[in-house]
Amino acid sequence: MAAQPKPLPIFQPNYLEGGGLLGWLTTIDHKRIAVLYMATALVFMAIGGIEAMLIRVQLWEPNNTFLSAGTYNELFTMHGTTMIFLVVMPLLIGFFGNFMIPLHIGARDVAFPRLNALSFWMALVAGITLHLGWIRGGLPDAGWFGYANLTERYFSPTLALDWWVVGLLISGTSTILSAVNFLTTIITMRAPGMSYMRIPMFMWAMMITSILILLAFPPLTVGLIFLLLDRFFGTHFYVATAGATPILWQHLFWLFGHPEVYVMALPGFGIISEVLPAFSRKPLFGYPMMAYSIVLIAFLSYGVWGHHMFATGMGPVADSAFAITSMLIAIPTGIKVFSWIATVWGGSLRMTTAFYFALAMVLEFTIGGLSGVMHASAPVDLQQTDSYFVVAHFHYVLFGGVMFAILAGFYYWWPKVTGRLFSESIGKWHFWLTVIGFNVTFFPMHFLGMWGMPRRIYTYAPDLGWTGLNQLETVGAFVLGVAFLLFYINIYWSLRYGEKAPADPWDGRSLEWSVASPPPVYNFALLPNVRGRDAWWILKYGRAGSRGVAAYVAGQPPKPPEPEAPVDLSHVHMPPPSIFPLVVSLGVGLMGLGLIVGWYRIILIGGIVTIMSIIGMGFEYKDYGQAVHDPEHAPSSGGIDVRKVGVWCFLGSECVFFASLISTFIVYKSRSIGAPGAEILEIPLTSFSTFILLMSSLLMVLALAATQRGDKVWERIWLAGTVFFGLIFLSGQAYEFTHFYHEGMGYTTNLFSQSFYTLVGFHGAHVAIGVLWLSVLLVAAITGRLGKSRALSIELAGLYWHFVDVVWIVIFTLVYLMQTVHGA
Amino acid sequence: MSDAAEAHIEQVHHPGATTYLIVAAFLVVLTAMEVTVFYVHALRPVLVPLLLILSAAKFALVAMFYMHLRYDGTLVSGIFIFPLAIATFLLITLVLLFGYLSHHLAPIINLGGG
Repeated sequence: MAAQPKPLPIFQPNYLEGGGLLGWLTTIDHKRIAVLYMATALVFMAIGGIEAMLIRVQLWEPNNTFLSAGTYNELFTMHGTTMIFLVVMPLLIGFFGNFMIPLHIGARDVAFPRLNALSFWMALVAGITLHLGWIRGGLPDAGWFGYANLTERYFSPTLALDWWVVGLLISGTSTILSAVNFLTTIITMRAPGMSYMRIPMFMWAMMITSILILLAFPPLTVGLIFLLLDRFFGTHFYVATAGATPILWQHLFWLFGHPEVYVMALPGFGIISEVLPAFSRKPLFGYPMMAYSIVLIAFLSYGVWGHHMFATGMGPVADSAFAITSMLIAIPTGIKVFSWIATVWGGSLRMTTAFYFALAMVLEFTIGGLSGVMHASAPVDLQQTDSYFVVAHFHYVLFGGVMFAILAGFYYWWPKVTGRLFSESIGKWHFWLTVIGFNVTFFPMHFLGMWGMPRRIYTYAPDLGWTGLNQLETVGAFVLGVAFLLFYINIYWSLRYGEKAPADPWDGRSLEWSVASPPPVYNFALLPNVRGRDAWWILKYGRAGSRGVAAYVAGQPPKPPEPEAPVDLSHVHMPPPSIFPLVVSLGVGLMGLGLIVGWYRIILIGGIVTIMSIIGMGFEYKDYGQAVHDPEHAPSSGGIDVRKVGVWCFLGSECVFFASLISTFIVYKSRSIGAPGAEILEIPLTSFSTFILLMSSLLMVLALAATQRGDKVWERIWLAGTVFFGLIFLSGQAYEFTHFYHEGMGYTTNLFSQSFYTLVGFHGAHVAIGVLWLSVLLVAAITGRLGKSRALSIELAGLYWHFVDVVWIVIFTLVYLMQTVHGA
Repeated sequence: MSDAAEAHIEQVHHPGATTYLIVAAFLVVLTAMEVTVFYVHALRPVLVPLLLILSAAKFALVAMFYMHLRYDGTLVSGIFIFPLAIATFLLITLVLLFGYLSHHLAPIINLGGG
């Protein structure tokens, strides 16, 4: 039965109340989803932390036999994978991002609430999948970077790496969906008056982080797909004896991996940029420069991946280029550090735990940043590669920078999330033990690295002089363990005994502090009208931030906001809960499980569940989701619909996905050994297919035009024509593949065949999805569910269809018509 | 969203069937030119630039007219063109990096590339 948003009753409880277990399983409220992310990440953080302490126990003394070499490899692999994919990203993006984005920009939810829930459930499925090796097949042991060809079936014959590959593919998909959602939300759903130069700095960070995710995750997805194909279907994408190169994995991985550092760091920067002004009672220093530096960091981060690969021998030109870009990125980062210091300078400071963590983050991150600049120099980096110096560096960035920011965010926003205050005294103990434990653990690693201790070794000889510092580090790790135990105790204490938090316990500056703690389901009864940066501060103290500080310091009470009168909520429409996101995720999980353990019926069942529940989501609301979007919410996107912006964001990410596939094809075409090669490709057949696909695009726009003018007959005819032409294209591809197979070009015959089939096959899969999508719309049109007012549904499907068309235009040229060109 | 609100948002004017048909004709002609370029041996020295130009023209026509980038404003253009530029950068860089490896280092480290 189609559910419909209903006007809310006058009284609404806060978002945490009511619903029971089913309410949490079917929730699409961004705040509840944020809490689900947080709870999941805290569990994984405990697991990852215990793994780290076991690593440190093993390194306590030379020739230690506490752990075997294999178990040690599993532990450092899972520690890195868990902390990055299941702790830091879920906390920063899933928890803080989810909770704060709508509250910061004055919206009632994210742009796509059900997609948001789907992202969470898929992330949970990914986390469970990554840990299923405990039950069967063992844990992955090739490092969080999974360097080829350690990950090939020949070197890792168990299921361990299979769990890793499938888990990361699901996790990556979930993250991309979140990025589409958040980017669309920030672009289109800002409150009236909230221009880009008025959004909180955390929003700048989340917006640019979302863009980074959309551009950086597809290369990892492609790299993982190649690995999956190697392990399950016998291809040789990373097997040197087949002419391939394991270096391809490094490029694809670090094309993701270095922007990923900023995917983690930028939200941390955003959090610090909220916490420091709040507790300094000053506006953020240099707001425009802070915003531009985030943009510049993100832009540059896409061109620095090669500094992870200096040791692979890329050559002096590439090394120099990557060294320059890596050094350049220090400039915008430096701007941020100086702006934070200037923000605090001269402020009226309140020394809360959140402020402590934020200040410490600036210091610890700067240390990590400085050692990072050293890595930008290729000759220096060659000395430090694979040594403990690198371990020290990235822990100063990811723990000293990012985890300290996360903890600052926890102490800052916890009252808003839970309606309870943390214990400041436990918090201070937590802080000091974290600072001491962190520096005692990681600072000596600089020296060990310079003395030549390699990373990833499970033990060392007694006469190397490394024992003392290793023991010091192990002590530090346990101090850190105690610190985090206190953090968990503080969470429990706060939820059980914590003082109830007022709406604005820190005298905050941004809009989240204008609503109750915890916020009501709908966030804002009336959408705020933003009059400047630091929107809530201006409401309290008047327009000029400095005057606000002066008033506060002089002991003048802040201008109280308007008292909360009973508000008629009949105009507020919130989307109803949905079970489909959970079911889709279960279907995806079943497919992954079936693939890994070889239960092909499970794959089939998972596939059917996934497809049917996606279609179910499409028809869940009678108006295909249009009513989900708040009618009173004036779009901040210049008149472009929210869903259209979302589709465009996704297509932008798809550009990078196909670029990764196409570049692999071009590279491997030249390296392929033996026949057949590109000469097997047939231009007449493919020219016909190209013509068919181009004409299908024509029919698609004609269908849209017919729908827009209310011509139902031609709407159905053109839609049916598009589906038919799509099917002809797919038939042509099936014929082509069959023909090649009979000519002796199997999927795994050589590098050319596998990269060709993979590229063209993925395009074909996109066409097939498009045909399915259009078929569903055709059925809707025939049954009278489309029409002029639903033209956007046709337009969105059309955008996807035309994108598939333009990708084919590129493939036709680069793969087929340039078959005789060997550039790489 | 109500129909009225929907109509408020979707005020952007899209072209009619005539424009779509003219674009389709251009696409067919450009595809024919591509195939011709492929078969004319005399054009081999300029095969790559010619094909890239023709392909880019087709890409632009579909993106601008069928995907309505020409009509939907700078926001969606930016959302699409920036990733497209990044994707192009990625493609060129990877090909160059591997080309450099294959051509300059293969004799030294016997990568076997061509």
